[in-house]
Amino acid sequence: MTNEKISTLRTDHLHSYYVLEMYGKQKVVKAVNDVDLKIYENEIYGIAGESGCGKTTLLKALFNDIMPPQRLISGKIYYRVNGGKEIDATTLKPEEKRKLRLEFISNIPQGSMSVLNPVLKIKETYMDFIASHVRGPERGEIFERARKQILEFGLPQNILDVYPHQLSGGMRQRVTIALSALLKPRIMIGDEPTTALDVVVQRGVIQMMKEIQKNLKNTIVIVTHDMGVQANIADRIGIMYAGKIVEEATTGQIFSQPQHPYTQFLINSLPKFGDKHLRSSVPGSPPSLVDLPDGCPFHPRCPKVMEICRQQMPDFSHPAENQKVACWLYGGEKHANAA
Amino acid sequence: MRVIRDLFRDYRFTFSFIVLLLILTMAVLSFFSPYDPTMWFVVPRDMKPSAEYLLGTDSNGQDIFWQATFAVRNSLIISLIAASVSRVIAVLVGMVAGYARGNPDRILMFISDGLLVIPLFLILVMLAMIIRKNMNLVVLGLMLSAFGWAWDARVIRSVILSLRERDFTKTAILSGTGTVELVLKEYMPYTTPLIFSTLINNISWAIGLEMTLALLGLVDVNIPTLGTILNWAITYQAMFLGRWNWVLTPVVLAVFMFIALYWLSVSISEYLDPRTRIQRVGV
Repeated sequence: MTNEKISTLRTDHLHSYYVLEMYGKQKVVKAVNDVDLKIYENEIYGIAGESGCGKTTLLKALFNDIMPPQRLISGKIYYRVNGGKEIDATTLKPEEKRKLRLEFISNIPQGSMSVLNPVLKIKETYMDFIASHVRGPERGEIFERARKQILEFGLPQNILDVYPHQLSGGMRQRVTIALSALLKPRIMIGDEPTTALDVVVQRGVIQMMKEIQKNLKNTIVIVTHDMGVQANIADRIGIMYAGKIVEEATTGQIFSQPQHPYTQFLINSLPKFGDKHLRSSVPGSPPSLVDLPDGCPFHPRCPKVMEICRQQMPDFSHPAENQKVACWLYGGEKHANAA
Repeated sequence: MRVIRDLFRDYRFTFSFIVLLLILTMAVLSFFSPYDPTMWFVVPRDMKPSAEYLLGTDSNGQDIFWQATFAVRNSLIISLIAASVSRVIAVLVGMVAGYARGNPDRILMFISDGLLVIPLFLILVMLAMIIRKNMNLVVLGLMLSAFGWAWDARVIRSVILSLRERDFTKTAILSGTGTVELVLKEYMPYTTPLIFSTLINNISWAIGLEMTLALLGLVDVNIPTLGTILNWAITYQAMFLGRWNWVLTPVVLAVFMFIALYWLSVSISEYLDPRTRIQRVGV
């Protein structure tokens, strides 16, 4: 998968903070703190991490939809549209951004009750979204394609003529995924698309996303803290902790040889067949993103903490191919020299 | 056709449809009136209802039935002008304030709150006194519409504010829908029942306010409206003289109009919202 090495979506030292005024005091929530991502074409990239570690904020930044109080502090987001040169998404004008959405980058919303307009039929939502991108007679063609696509996904044809409240949660989720794949976008970003669904429906949804990815050969970025879903769907996984990517590797590597202590805890907490031991969790609680500890943000909870962890954030080292980890345990001297 | 059949399943719609149809027929009948509504003493005074004078005649020597047809027409004209003009203002102000938020919202809501807190009735009485010479149906309608939009603009704004935060707004924006399209295509269907019901409420409100002003003699009392008929009836002590046919004609017409308009608004609003359609109307 990764040997093609063409990145469609890349971030460069991305810092995106929430700047809040509270009782006259300024609070800075460092939700995305120096993230370097490189997401390739034709892969499914999973982002995992505990609640409040900045996953959703990262997605908003990747989507180039940064609204106050969220701010882009520094760093760049690059899109590679149509396989050409990379463009810096942060400098795009609103109209250009609008054009890119759904055509190049699309959002898979969490299929809760309100992601579809409750007073419009599914068909009308489709029509509206098509109309905002395509002009003239082509609209009809695309709608016909959507109709066929819906059948391919195993949804009943008359689904277009119903209102969102008449659908079950799983159907609604599948309709929203079909909707986001409508204009064959190169990147699809999903923020917990399988949450709030039961496991059977989850499987259907995952299968559908994989199918879309296989057909379109595009990129799906998916955020979920459900490691089971990650294992099923992702080609590569980035583990996020306190606004940083701490480890990134192929799915197999993450599950078989996790390197970062936080990832190790995460993987060890998963139930396994035949293993009846009590699962241990990470001691302590996640750090406040307002007041991050010095050095590595994980050091107050890390069982293998060293002196240097309290002072300096480690750089990435590469213990194996396709794997990078930000921890002093691996190649500490090299970091020290680099820093 | 299916729409009409479905609507008639609601007894409230059936009732109000029939009542409003009768009232509209009356308004249309006014064009075929044998009498000029501004002329006095065209018929014998103070007659009881009979075959010749359906609702009797009044102390000015006018036929009450034909006078009522003009009254219904004129009251409807005033209230429709008032309601439709104020609806345009309310929708524009509400949507701009709700969608833009920030400073536009503050300025627009400052104006509408200003209109809400001033004692409306006193201002209207004063204004009516000042422009009494030029008072006609259109001026009165516009005057009412200038004061009738504030509350509804606030209601529409609050709905838009809430819609802005819903997930489907995000879905639409992240799918590349532009602002104008978003407001017109995604929000409009949601707010239509609301706008419709405020429209109908506003019609009733305008009819009521016109009656109030007319009762005080602040409009041209020679033009028959529901209010001016009542004004003349009370001037001639019709209640004490037991001329109920005269007093009750505008009152009963107004009451039926109010009920019919209210039920119509409730019934159509429920029909327009696909989620209540099934529960209430049963389709």
